[in-house]
Amino acid sequence: MTDRHDRPSSDYLNAPDTLVVVRPAASGPDDLFVAISSTGLVTAFNGHVDLGTGIRTALAQIVAEDLDVAFDHVRMVLGSTAATPDQGATIASETIQIAARPLRFAAATARHYLVGLAAQRLGLTPDDVTVQDGIVRPKAVSNRSVSYADLIAGPTIRLELDLGAPLKPASHYRIVGQAQPRVDIPAKATGAWTYVHDVRVPGMLHGRVVRPPYAGFDTGAHVGTSFIAVDEASVANIPGLVAVVVIGDFVGVVAAREENAILAMRQLRVTWQPAPDIPDLNAPEAALRANPSTARQLTNQGDVDRGLAGAAEAMNRTYVWPYQMHGSIGPSCAVADWHESGLTVWSGTQNPFPMRADLAKLLDMPEERIVVARLEAAGCYGRNCADDVTADAALLSRAVRRPVRVQLTREQEHLWEPKGAAQVIDVRGGLDLEGGPAAYDFETRYPSNLAPTLPLILTGKVPPVADVLQMGDRTAIPPYAYGNLRVTVHDMPPIARASWFRGVSAMPNSFAHESFIDELATAAAVDPIEYRLRYLRDSRAVDLVRAVAERAQWLPHTKPQTLGGEGDILYGRGFAYAVYVHGTFPGTAAAWAAWVADVAVNKVTGDVALTRVVCGQDTGQIINPDGVTHQIHGNIIQSTSRVLKEQVSFSSTAVSSQEWGAYPILTFPDVPDIDVLLMPRPDEPPLGAGESASVPSAAAIANAIFDATGIRFRELPLTPERIRAALNPLPPPAPPATAAQSGWRHWFPFAALAGLGALIVTAMPFRPSIAPIERPRANVFSAETIERGRLAAAIGACNVCHVGHDGVAFAGGRALDTPFGAVYATNITPDPAAGIGAWSYPAFARAMREGVSRDGHHLYPAHPYTSFAKSSETDIQALYAFLMAQPASPSRAPETTLRFPFNMRPLMAGWNALFLSSASALADISRSPEWRRGAELVEGLGHCSACHSDRNALGAERKGGAHLTGGVADGWHAPSLSTSRFAPVGWTAEAFYDYLRTGRSAEHGAAAGPMARVIESMNALPDADIRAMATYLASLNESAPSVSEASAAAARAIAAGVAASRPADLAMPVAARLFTGACASCHAETMTLTSLALTTSLHADRPDNVILAILQGVDAPTSSQAAIHATAASDVPVSAGMPSFRNTLDDQSLADLAIYLRARFAPDKAPWTGVNEAIARSRAASP
Amino acid sequence: MLTAAAKFRIRVNGRIHDVYAAPRTPLLYILRNDLKLNGPKFGCGLGECGACAVLIGNRSVRSCTIALSAVRDRAVTTLEGLGNSDAPHPVQAAFIANNAAQCGYCLNGMIIATVALLASHPHPTETEIRNALRYHLCRCGTHIEILAAVRSAAAWSAEAGQAGDGAVDDRATSHDPHEAAS
Ligand code: FES
Ligand code: FES
Repeated sequence: MTDRHDRPSSDYLNAPDTLVVVRPAASGPDDLFVAISSTGLVTAFNGHVDLGTGIRTALAQIVAEDLDVAFDHVRMVLGSTAATPDQGATIASETIQIAARPLRFAAATARHYLVGLAAQRLGLTPDDVTVQDGIVRPKAVSNRSVSYADLIAGPTIRLELDLGAPLKPASHYRIVGQAQPRVDIPAKATGAWTYVHDVRVPGMLHGRVVRPPYAGFDTGAHVGTSFIAVDEASVANIPGLVAVVVIGDFVGVVAAREENAILAMRQLRVTWQPAPDIPDLNAPEAALRANPSTARQLTNQGDVDRGLAGAAEAMNRTYVWPYQMHGSIGPSCAVADWHESGLTVWSGTQNPFPMRADLAKLLDMPEERIVVARLEAAGCYGRNCADDVTADAALLSRAVRRPVRVQLTREQEHLWEPKGAAQVIDVRGGLDLEGGPAAYDFETRYPSNLAPTLPLILTGKVPPVADVLQMGDRTAIPPYAYGNLRVTVHDMPPIARASWFRGVSAMPNSFAHESFIDELATAAAVDPIEYRLRYLRDSRAVDLVRAVAERAQWLPHTKPQTLGGEGDILYGRGFAYAVYVHGTFPGTAAAWAAWVADVAVNKVTGDVALTRVVCGQDTGQIINPDGVTHQIHGNIIQSTSRVLKEQVSFSSTAVSSQEWGAYPILTFPDVPDIDVLLMPRPDEPPLGAGESASVPSAAAIANAIFDATGIRFRELPLTPERIRAALNPLPPPAPPATAAQSGWRHWFPFAALAGLGALIVTAMPFRPSIAPIERPRANVFSAETIERGRLAAAIGACNVCHVGHDGVAFAGGRALDTPFGAVYATNITPDPAAGIGAWSYPAFARAMREGVSRDGHHLYPAHPYTSFAKSSETDIQALYAFLMAQPASPSRAPETTLRFPFNMRPLMAGWNALFLSSASALADISRSPEWRRGAELVEGLGHCSACHSDRNALGAERKGGAHLTGGVADGWHAPSLSTSRFAPVGWTAEAFYDYLRTGRSAEHGAAAGPMARVIESMNALPDADIRAMATYLASLNESAPSVSEASAAAARAIAAGVAASRPADLAMPVAARLFTGACASCHAETMTLTSLALTTSLHADRPDNVILAILQGVDAPTSSQAAIHATAASDVPVSAGMPSFRNTLDDQSLADLAIYLRARFAPDKAPWTGVNEAIARSRAASP
Repeated sequence: MLTAAAKFRIRVNGRIHDVYAAPRTPLLYILRNDLKLNGPKFGCGLGECGACAVLIGNRSVRSCTIALSAVRDRAVTTLEGLGNSDAPHPVQAAFIANNAAQCGYCLNGMIIATVALLASHPHPTETEIRNALRYHLCRCGTHIEILAAVRSAAAWSAEAGQAGDGAVDDRATSHDPHEAAS
C-alpha cells in the first residue's frame, strides 16, 4: 500500500525533545516552520508545493544554510493543510522569492538560539564560536564541541519566528549557491516515488467522470444545467460497478477495478442539452475584440497623440497569441476518503489551502474537518490552480462512502484543463525624425484566467458567472524609456476556461514589446541590440543584455538576411529581452532574461528549426545553480514549443484538441542547443526563476525568422504553413483530381427479390422437427474425438460469432449485422433449453449442412452451412462431441427478427434450393494431400467464403468468378483471397502462413477486426493445417509472386510511400501532425511494424477498413511467442494492439487523417471519395 | 466487447504472478493496480506519450496498448525491475547523476526506452538517441538533461565493454501464488 500522510503539525508542536520555530496564529494552532529533533533531524515546512521545479531541494538548501546543518539532515514538508502554514497559491515563481522568506528567518531564529545556548555551555560568547553541520566549536583551537542535538532535550522548546534574526552574509555560504543534486530524483528514477497517481488506500475504488458536451467552457446559463437523463441500464453489465453518480452536470461512475470504471465511463449513456455555439477561437482576434471589456490605463506619459502625429511613418501593429494548453503529461488524479467525521484528499493541487476552502463549500463541511495532503503530480505549469479532479474524487467518495481514486482521461485533460488564455495586443508607434521612438501606444486584451474548481460549477454550488480580474497587465509596461508612452489593459471575462500559464500575460506582452522595438531598430537602420540599449535604463538589464550579446558573439547588423543560407535553408538570428513582472499591478519583478535565438528556415516547406539559444538570466542570488539552469532549459524548450507549434483547436461548441496529435508539442529531434549564462549576483535577494526564461521566447524567435526571411510574423504559432504562406504564397500542390472508381460491392442491392416468391412452390418450406433427446453424457465421446472437435471448432472459429456477451464461450447473443437486420448468434452450449443440449447428432448435422434447426425452422445463411456442407462427416461428428462436452450456459440469445420478407423463415427453403450444393466438392485427386487438406479447411469448416466472397441480392455467396474475391464482415471489407486485388504485394504461401499463424505478415501487416478473432481461434490448429491452408490459398492466385518478387514489390511500395511523405505533409500539414502525434509512435517508417504502405486497406477502393481500424482499434491476436518465432514476422514487436480512437478523434480529424494516409501510403491510388459517408457507416458499425 | 475476467499468469520483474482480469485489460492497469508497481504511468492510454513503457524482453513497449491476454509467456520488466535507489541500473544511475527530471512523470518511459536503445545500439549516435526518444513526450522540457543522461549511460556501457549491460535479466525465478489479484 502506498498511503502517504505527512504527520500533522500538532505532532511536532508539543513533542518532547523537539525544538520548534512557530508563528502564533490568530486562531487555531501555531504556524510551524521548523522542527528539530534530538537526533538532529530537521523538518521544515512550507505552504507552497513542488511543481517539479525542484524547490523541495532549494528550500532544504536554504534551511540547511541558515541553520548551519548538513544538507541531508533537512527534510521538507510542502503544502499539506494539516502540517504547513497557509502561504496561499503556488504561483508566479514566488516560492523562493517570497514564500521562502519566513523559512529562512525561522532557520536563522533557531540557529541564533542554539548557537547562544551552545556558547553558554562552552563558557564562551556567541562571537567566540563557529558552527558547521550542527556542531558548535570554539573558534580557538580546541577539541570541545556541542551539537544542536545535545541541546534539544526535555519539554518542547518553542521559539517564535523572528523576522529580525541575523541572516548569514552570502560570503559565508557553503550550501546555498552550490549545485545540489535533486533529492527526489533517485526515487523517481527507480519507481519508488509516490506521486498522487500512486496513492493507494485500503478499500479504494476507482472513479471516472463523464463531462458535459460544452468541453472547456465554464460560464453561461447552460453550465450546470445541461444534464437531461442518464440510462443506468447502459452500464448494467459492467462487473464490479458500484455507482453512477449525478449531481447537476456532474456525472461520475465508480467501480471496483479501474478498467471497469473506464468501460462504464465509455459506455454510460447520458443525454445532454446540446452545447451552445461559441465564438471562433481558432483565430481568436475577432472574439477577443468583441468580448466586452473595461479599459484600464496603466500609464500615460508625455504626449502620445502628438508623438504619433509627428511620426515619420505610422507603424501600427497587432500581435495575436492563441489559446494554449498546459499539457501536463500525467492527466489529473486524486484520491478522496470521505467519512461522516471528515474528508481527506490526496491531491496534486497547486493551492492546498484554497482547495480546502473549495471542498468545504462543495460538501458543506467545515474546513477544519478537511485535510488536503499534497503529493507531487506531473508538471502542471499553472493548470493545477483548478485541480478539478480533487473535487471529483471527493464527490464520488461521499456518494459511495469509500475511498475513491479518480484520474482524468487524456481526452478529458486536453478538453477540460483550464487553458492559457489568448491575447491580442495593438501597438501604435513609429520613428521620430531622429530615428527614435516617436510614441508607444500599447493596448492589450487578455481574458481573465481564474477558472473555479469545475465541480463547484457543474453542481451549481457556484454560479457559472465569469469574474473579470486584472490579469493582462503582467510586463505590460515596456522596459524601454519611451518619452510618449501610453499603456492600456482591457480587462475582460474569460471566454474559454483558463488558468495561469507560465509567463501569463507577460509573455504575449513581451512578444509585442520586443517585436516592435526590433522593427523600430530596422526602420532606423540601427543594430537591434544597440537600439534597445539606447532606451534601456535599468543597469542590471543593461549588464545582462551586453553579457548575452557577448556570449553569443552577436554581430551587429542593421538589416535582415546578412547570414545567408544554403539551398532551401535561410539562416537568421534574433534577440529579445524581458523582465517578468507578476502580481497585482505594478507587480513584482522576477528574474531578468534575454535570448539570442538562431533559426534555420526552410523557404520551401516553411519549417523553422530553432538550432541554438543563448539565454542569460539575472536571478539575483542563486540557491541551486543546477536547479536554475534546469528551469531555464525547461522554459526554453516549453516556450519554443508554444511559439512554433501550439494552438488549441475549437469546434463550433467546444475545445476539439483531444490528444497529442491534435496538439503537438516539441520532441527530441527538435530540441535546440542551449547555452545558459547565469549572472553572478550572490549579494542580491533571490528572484523567481520558474518562468522568466519563457518570456522573451516568442519575440526572439520571430525576430530571428525576420532576420532569415525579411518577413515579420505577429501571430502565433509559427507553423510551417503560416511561414510558407508568407514566403511563398502559392497554393500547395493539389491532390490528383481523379476519383477512385468504386469497385465496392454491397451485400444485397435488393434487385432479385422477385424470383424468391416463385421458388416457394418448388422447394419444401417446412422441414420436420427432430425429436429432442437427453443431453448426451460427456463420457460417450472419446477424448480423441473431443480433441478433434476442439480443432474443428477452432478452424470454424465458432466462438467468434457464438461468443456470449460476457465472454462465455459458445453462449451466443452476438448480433451479426446484415442488411436485413441483426441476426443473433445462438447459444450452442449443451444447455437443453437455451442451447443445443436436446439436439441429437442428426439434428446437429442437418443444421450444419442444410441450415435447418432441430425444430424444423430454417436458419439464416449468416450461419455458413453452405460451407460446412463441404466438411467431412468425421469433423462434424467431432464438433458435436466437443460442443456437448462444453459447460452449459443457460443464457438465451435474443430472437432474430428481420425485416419483411426476410422474417419469413420458410422463404429460406427457397433460398437453399437456389444456393446450397451439398456435394462434398473438393476431391481433386490430382492435387497434393496438403493442398486437398487446405481446400477442405478453407472451403469447408473454415468457411472463409462466408466473409471473403461477395453475396448476391439474396444474401448468398456468389459463386464462380466471385468466389473468395472479397466480401464483407461486420462492416469490414474482407479482401479477396484469390486475386491479391488491392494488395500492393501479392500473397505468397509463406505470407499466408505467417498471417494465419500469427495474425501478421511482414509484407501485409496485421489482421484487424473480425479476422483477428479468427486467427486467435486458429491458434489451436497444428502447424500442418495452417500450412495446408496457406498452400491452398496461394494456389488460388494464378499470378502469386515468388518470395523474391514479393519482397521487391514490398520495397517498391515502401519507397513510394517514403517519396510521397513530403508532398503529403506539405499538402495536409494538420493531418501530417496528427499522424506524427497520434500514429507515428508505432507507424513511423523507423518502427518495426510493417509499413502502412503495405497495408491492403490503404490501397483498397474504399476507406472503410482504415476508418474502422482507427475507430475500433486493433486487438493484437494472441498468438504464442513460439508461433511468432516460427515466422518471417518474428521481428515484429510483441503484441501491442492499436487503441481505439473512437472517442478521441472527431469526424473532421478522421476524414483528414484517412485522406492523408491514402496520399502518403498509397500514392499511386486515386484519393478516396465518400470518406464522410464511410465515417458515418463505420461509426454506426462501431457502437 | 465486454469479456469476462479470467486468470492469467504473467512474468514481471522475474516473478510469476497470477492475475484475474478481463483479457483485454491493458497491461498497464494490471501492473499498477494488481502488482502495485508505480514505475509505469498513465499518460494517454493511446500509445502516444510513452509514460507507460515497460520492457518486454529487451524491447520497449507501451503497456497501455498491450492486452493482458497478449502478454503470454514473455518476460516483462518495469522500472522497479531494473534497480533500486541503492543499486540502480546503469541507466537509472545516469539519469540520477544528470538530474534528468523535473516533475519526473515521463522519466519511466525515458529510462525504459534508453535501456532498450542501448540493448540494440550499444554505441548510439546523437540521431539514434533522439529518434529512440522521439515519441516519448516530456512537457517540463527536461530534454537537455535527459539527452545528457543517455549519452553518459551509453559511454558507461561502452566503457564496461558489454552492450548487454543495458539488458535485463528476464529469467523468471520465483513464483509467488499469493501475488494473485486482490
Ligand atoms: S500512456 Fe501509454 S503511451 Fe501514453
Ligand atoms: S520531467 Fe515532467 S514531463 Fe518530463
